[in-house]
Amino acid sequence: MAPLDPTPGIASNLFNTGAERLALLGKYHKQLMQGYLDGYVDETAFSEGALKKLIAARILWRPDEQQPLALRPLVSELIASMVADENRRQINADVAEKLEQIRNRVQAYRDAQYKGDYAVAELQLQRLTEHVHDLSGQFEEAIDSLWHRLNSDFGFVSSLDDKIRENERAQKQLRRLLDGLDLLDFTELIELSEGNNHLRKLLVSQLQSQLSSHHSSLLEVQKRLVELLAKFRQQQSRSLLISNMVAFLRQHPKYQPADYPNRSELPDLFNQASAIRPQAAIALDKASERQILAELVRALPRQVAVTLSDTPSASFSELLQDEEIAARQLALKTDVENFYLRVIDRGGSLSALEYLTEQQLPWDSEIWLYQILAEYQALPASEKQMFRLQREESPASAVNSLYLIRDISIGLQAA
Amino acid sequence: MLQHGPLLERLLAGDFICRITDEDAYRHLSLEQTQQDINHYLRPLNRRLVSNDDQSVYFLGYYELNKEAREQLSQQFAQTVQSLLPLLEWLQLVQETLGRDSALTAGDTIKLQEFVLRTEDNQSLRQRLNTLASDRFFNSQSEQLDSQVKLIFRRLKEHGYLLQPHADRQYYIVTGKIDYLIDVIRFIRDEEHLPVEDTPQQEALL
Repeated sequence: MAPLDPTPGIASNLFNTGAERLALLGKYHKQLMQGYLDGYVDETAFSEGALKKLIAARILWRPDEQQPLALRPLVSELIASMVADENRRQINADVAEKLEQIRNRVQAYRDAQYKGDYAVAELQLQRLTEHVHDLSGQFEEAIDSLWHRLNSDFGFVSSLDDKIRENERAQKQLRRLLDGLDLLDFTELIELSEGNNHLRKLLVSQLQSQLSSHHSSLLEVQKRLVELLAKFRQQQSRSLLISNMVAFLRQHPKYQPADYPNRSELPDLFNQASAIRPQAAIALDKASERQILAELVRALPRQVAVTLSDTPSASFSELLQDEEIAARQLALKTDVENFYLRVIDRGGSLSALEYLTEQQLPWDSEIWLYQILAEYQALPASEKQMFRLQREESPASAVNSLYLIRDISIGLQAA
Repeated sequence: MLQHGPLLERLLAGDFICRITDEDAYRHLSLEQTQQDINHYLRPLNRRLVSNDDQSVYFLGYYELNKEAREQLSQQFAQTVQSLLPLLEWLQLVQETLGRDSALTAGDTIKLQEFVLRTEDNQSLRQRLNTLASDRFFNSQSEQLDSQVKLIFRRLKEHGYLLQPHADRQYYIVTGKIDYLIDVIRFIRDEEHLPVEDTPQQEALL
């Protein structure tokens, strides 16, 4: 135990040195943080004086003559804890040492009180409070680190194998922490604090409630760690199974497993029944349901007869077509209609091309024939029957059996 | 029984019910009373409720194995065996393409676009996907990566391995039927004593 010296001179000296050295951390924060990440510090980033100060402040050290300067482990640990860097965060599970310190402090406190040295007693009590908080804080830090690792699914390491190793490491730490908690014997703490209100409050009511909450947290973490490890292992075995099975099936393309479906004891996995799709139809035998059925029928979307008025379709085509072309088309249509009327008047068969020359119509003969055919096809079936269409055809050439229509004759069908 | 109507209909249609496809139904099916009720109801249809070993997925099997049932099961089994390699290769491909450190499990989400993007830039993944897409199980005729991937995912959806929560959004959730597939493989492996390991070698650990 370090001797305590409450003299103000040394205390203020301590204060100044400490404050100065803490300021060093701030002054060189970027270089030091880089050193944390790299594992060593770049000595050229500091002046010689600065390096000396940092070494004297026990912030940097040279682990070995040949090694570059590095952060002291305690400083690295401080940073790891501040940024929750789970790769480097340390868990201190040593409870026995802390307990020993607490016992000694209690003794020193009681001795001072006995001697009536109240200033020393006050100081001892303050140190004791620190130790108690320290003990509780140690668990808190460890639990925080464990939860952090759990909640990130051990995301700070990349491979599943690493995750499994990290999880196992965490479980070991956790067991040490739980063992440490078991070292705490509350009957001993009650005895230690006997007859003193301050001590009882500190060691019994406060510490006990804190530690029991840590204990339940640790058990919860343990449960989750075990679950997660099981999940990791399951994932690992699944990945392995898949890749090894793929390899096997590729090597044995003709592989055929045994005929499980025809075994007397069919494995459940392969008992997959064929689908049955229930069908239903309207039943008319229940008078009480007629009303509902009628409503259903009424609710059916009705097929609305599409009656297109002439106006919109005309304006539609006018929009798309040149007015002149539309007029010509209409004229052609009228001439063809006149042709059909003539056929009806005559009663006999009428050649389309003859009619064209006879009437001296301006149409190209091919277009004329097309339009007559189109008009014929557009007739309703009942009216189509009234006409007899005869094509005058001839092969395109002696070697080509494609038939070309030379002329069309339309006549009235004898009823 | 009335309350289980929709569930029965899905089961009869050959659907696999798991926590992902229908959480409520799955919870009901986990109750022994419901299982009994459903089995009682299905008895005249020669069907009964079946689940995999860890009860993560339920489906219907035959109650009595008559000749027709056996024939149907043989056919089904032949299809299953034929689909093993393409399905496993797909699992492997997805795992590698998306850079995951573990195989797909029920509940995992796959974004189609991400999968396409990563495959596009990688010649070997592209090649493997091409081979996989033309496998009889997926049977893609297309040379286009996009339509190959879409077809593969659609087929897997049809077979119940994937769930597409929104018809117009291209992301999929892996269903519990994947667990079933793994169980089938494990069963065949154990039954036939295939040299297919699923525990890491000791040397690998050291």
